[in-house]
Amino acid sequence: MSDIADAHSGQVHPGAATYLIIAAFLIVLTAMEITVFYVHALRPVLVPVLIVLAAAKFALVAMFYMHLKYDGWLLSGVFIFPLMVATVLMVALILLFTYLSHHLAPIA
Amino acid sequence: MAAQPKLLPVHQPSYLEGGGVIGWLTTIDHKRVAVMYLASALFFMAFGGLEAMAIRVQLWRPDNHVLSAATYNAFFTMHGTTMIFLVVMPLLLGFLGNFLIPLQIGARDVAFPRLNALSFWLALVAGILLHLGWIRGGLPDAGWFGYANLTERYFTPGLAIDWWVIGLLVSGTSTVLTGLNFLTTIIAMRAPGMTYMRMPMFMWSMLVTSILILIAFPALTIGLIFLLFDRFFNTHFYVASAGATPILWQHLFWLFGHPEVYIMALPAFGIISEVVPTFSRKPLFGYPMMAYSICLIAFLSYGVWGHHMFATGMGPVADSAFAITSMLIAIPTGVKIFSWIATVWGGSLRMTTAFYFALGMILEFTIGGLSGIMHASAPIDLQQTDSYFVVAHFHYVLFGGVMFSIMSAFYYWWPKITGHMLGERLGKWHFWLTVVGFNVTFFPMHFLGMWGMPRRTYTYGADMGWTHLNQLETVGAFILGIAFLLFYINIFKSLVSGEPAPADPWDGRSLEWSTPSPPPAYNFATLPQVRGRDAWWIIKYGRAGSRGVAAYMSGQAPASPQPAEPADVDHIHMPAPSIFPLVLSLGVGMMGLGLIIDWYRIVIMGAVGVILSIIGMGFEYASYGEESHDPEHAPSSGGIDVRKIGIWSFIGSECVFFASLISTFIVYKARSVSGPGPEILNIPLTSFSTFVLLMSSLLMVLALAATQRGDKRWERIWLGGTVLFGLIFLCGQVYEFTSFMREGMGLTTNLFSQSFFVLVGFHGAHVAIGVLWLSVLLVAAMTGNLGKSRALSIELAGLYWHFVDVVWIIIFTLVYLMQAVPGA
Repeated sequence: MSDIADAHSGQVHPGAATYLIIAAFLIVLTAMEITVFYVHALRPVLVPVLIVLAAAKFALVAMFYMHLKYDGWLLSGVFIFPLMVATVLMVALILLFTYLSHHLAPIA
Repeated sequence: MAAQPKLLPVHQPSYLEGGGVIGWLTTIDHKRVAVMYLASALFFMAFGGLEAMAIRVQLWRPDNHVLSAATYNAFFTMHGTTMIFLVVMPLLLGFLGNFLIPLQIGARDVAFPRLNALSFWLALVAGILLHLGWIRGGLPDAGWFGYANLTERYFTPGLAIDWWVIGLLVSGTSTVLTGLNFLTTIIAMRAPGMTYMRMPMFMWSMLVTSILILIAFPALTIGLIFLLFDRFFNTHFYVASAGATPILWQHLFWLFGHPEVYIMALPAFGIISEVVPTFSRKPLFGYPMMAYSICLIAFLSYGVWGHHMFATGMGPVADSAFAITSMLIAIPTGVKIFSWIATVWGGSLRMTTAFYFALGMILEFTIGGLSGIMHASAPIDLQQTDSYFVVAHFHYVLFGGVMFSIMSAFYYWWPKITGHMLGERLGKWHFWLTVVGFNVTFFPMHFLGMWGMPRRTYTYGADMGWTHLNQLETVGAFILGIAFLLFYINIFKSLVSGEPAPADPWDGRSLEWSTPSPPPAYNFATLPQVRGRDAWWIIKYGRAGSRGVAAYMSGQAPASPQPAEPADVDHIHMPAPSIFPLVLSLGVGMMGLGLIIDWYRIVIMGAVGVILSIIGMGFEYASYGEESHDPEHAPSSGGIDVRKIGIWSFIGSECVFFASLISTFIVYKARSVSGPGPEILNIPLTSFSTFVLLMSSLLMVLALAATQRGDKRWERIWLGGTVLFGLIFLCGQVYEFTSFMREGMGLTTNLFSQSFFVLVGFHGAHVAIGVLWLSVLLVAAMTGNLGKSRALSIELAGLYWHFVDVVWIIIFTLVYLMQAVPGA
């Protein structure tokens, strides 16, 4: 099926075929995540592998289903800047509390 | 053909005239909304000011007991809360931002006028809730920052903190809606030719402030939600004995709190950047650097919150990082100060009261900035923290910097807003008394702080040696009180018998001065064409702007052209008034009130009001939320509809909201002192739920594609499928929660359970809202009211739905699949 123009912005959005391909990728990536979770041999690399897979799924949905790939820099900026702030916030808080938990008296 | 929205009569000579009381209650005109913000802020400013005076009376002499200790605590808490949330922010954003943004960018209103009215009514409801403690339960008394675990019910029983929590949640919602509205307005509604680098500097400050609001307030919202759960539902987010840490509150609060300083300071910088060039008759020196400095200050402001927490023991690495970022922020701030000075230098100065206050701001704010750099050094901060030195510092920033700017703005824009001049003679008295009163009150606090006087102290002993400076400060506070009295008198005199203001009394530079004073409801009869920076100055004098100065210097008054008013303004479409913002806000207020006083009938009545108002707003205009945007005004956003920018801004803000929730879960998941932990999570069930939600996103985009093709049959099928999959996901979540309950894990069982239920529960609430939204669209599709021309309605709902989906992708990974990975 052909791509479709957005009447309001004139941007071209992908057609159903692209959406179905992305859905297939999402299913495969989710299956990989669950597999990684159950394979004990992969436990040492569980965190980085899961983060990469989740980031890939996140990017696919944002780029294709939310049309950031097609809608220009403005909307990407409105989303990606707070997303980066949110990511830095999460990392910072986790690091700060990691330090705190190592330097506080143990919980009774 | 869809019914057209109701239209306002557009022949009103001024936005202030006509409509009566109902007209004001239902107004969505940005200028009237601004005036309502002004009225409420001036009312609350009197409250906050009197509380400050009472504090100073109490500290007049040692061992004084004019106030009880409890009343004293309540007064300094309410003074801070009132001044920040109910006075300074409403004045800067609600009043000045609202009034000036459309006028300075050459638009007829803000992007979402009804949302704008809703923001005001919510802010008013928040102010009322915060003050209902006067009537029942007592005033909040844990400081404006409400440190945990003092705010827990065990330590502060009664209703006082409940008023504070609910009031600030409502206030925060109002502010986020305002930020979203302003950001969209400035991005999408600038007049033709007004590029970003041609915007007035006040617009730059409001643009960046709006972004800061959207990324800073969610952290406070989460902190308050945790506190609300602790107080109302017996969770233990800040209770150390349950394994939690009160320091979580400090992080969440200051993640909001320091950007909040710049949410107040940046608009103040914007004001000074408007006033100084006008009264120096020079363009703003270093415009690009001023704009970049605003951006850099905002960016850095999000990475300095830790300097409020050096005393908590964050460790040398974190202390160093926060010290460096805190010191770095002095650079762009210094750029601004030097640019203002360079603008004044060599200018043809007109010493009006507005200019006096602007110059006063530059001096006083610099003093506050210098003491701020001291706080950036962790070892020095440890000596100063919680002392009166800090009180001196932040008053030099917030009063010397921000309030002086607000006063400058009053004298500068009051003629435009009311059509009357403020008295210059009384204004000069106001200024000098403010300078004297302010410095006599706050400068000695630096010394008292260094001598060891702790902030918030109720009283002190005669042997401490603090008496004389405290008495001097109290005298200063009364001088400041007299100054404010003169200000109120000046306002009153201006409204009653003030000299009529011409359209352009100061020979201004930006577009608002091209409109009559006060402006008509539609702002501009013809939308302006912007040909450069200082748009109105160029219209008046051409691109060689110095001719204006030369004309003045040679004694020739500049020939300010009067704005051209076409005979026919019937073609101007203004959005119709709406009662729903008021009703919705009343509903929210009733819900908050009922929750606090345990009167659940009121909660239900409020909820009904909220739901009916939302439905009413949805169907108020036949075209599903379109607010009759000016057909003349092509979006200055590359053709992207304002609603799309609005929903993306909201989604951006939600990123920080969920990041705060997820961080808390990761931090707390392994800190429970008893009960089940992450091993209880059901991976097969949630894997299925994840699949369902991902597929619902597929159905959602297929529905959009069908709508864009004009294929109504598949539009309904895919939309219905999305709703169905959403419901299946929700059913899975209900099953999961109830099975946890059966296994003995309730909300309050331990830290893991409470952070899990709150995080996943909030996501579920978002899914439920999405299902409701999509159901409404499905009904519209079934009744033939959607279709290709309204594909944007589907796209907006779809964006929200996909965001809920990507949040779940993160939750599924970090919460479920990483269950075996220990937390911090």
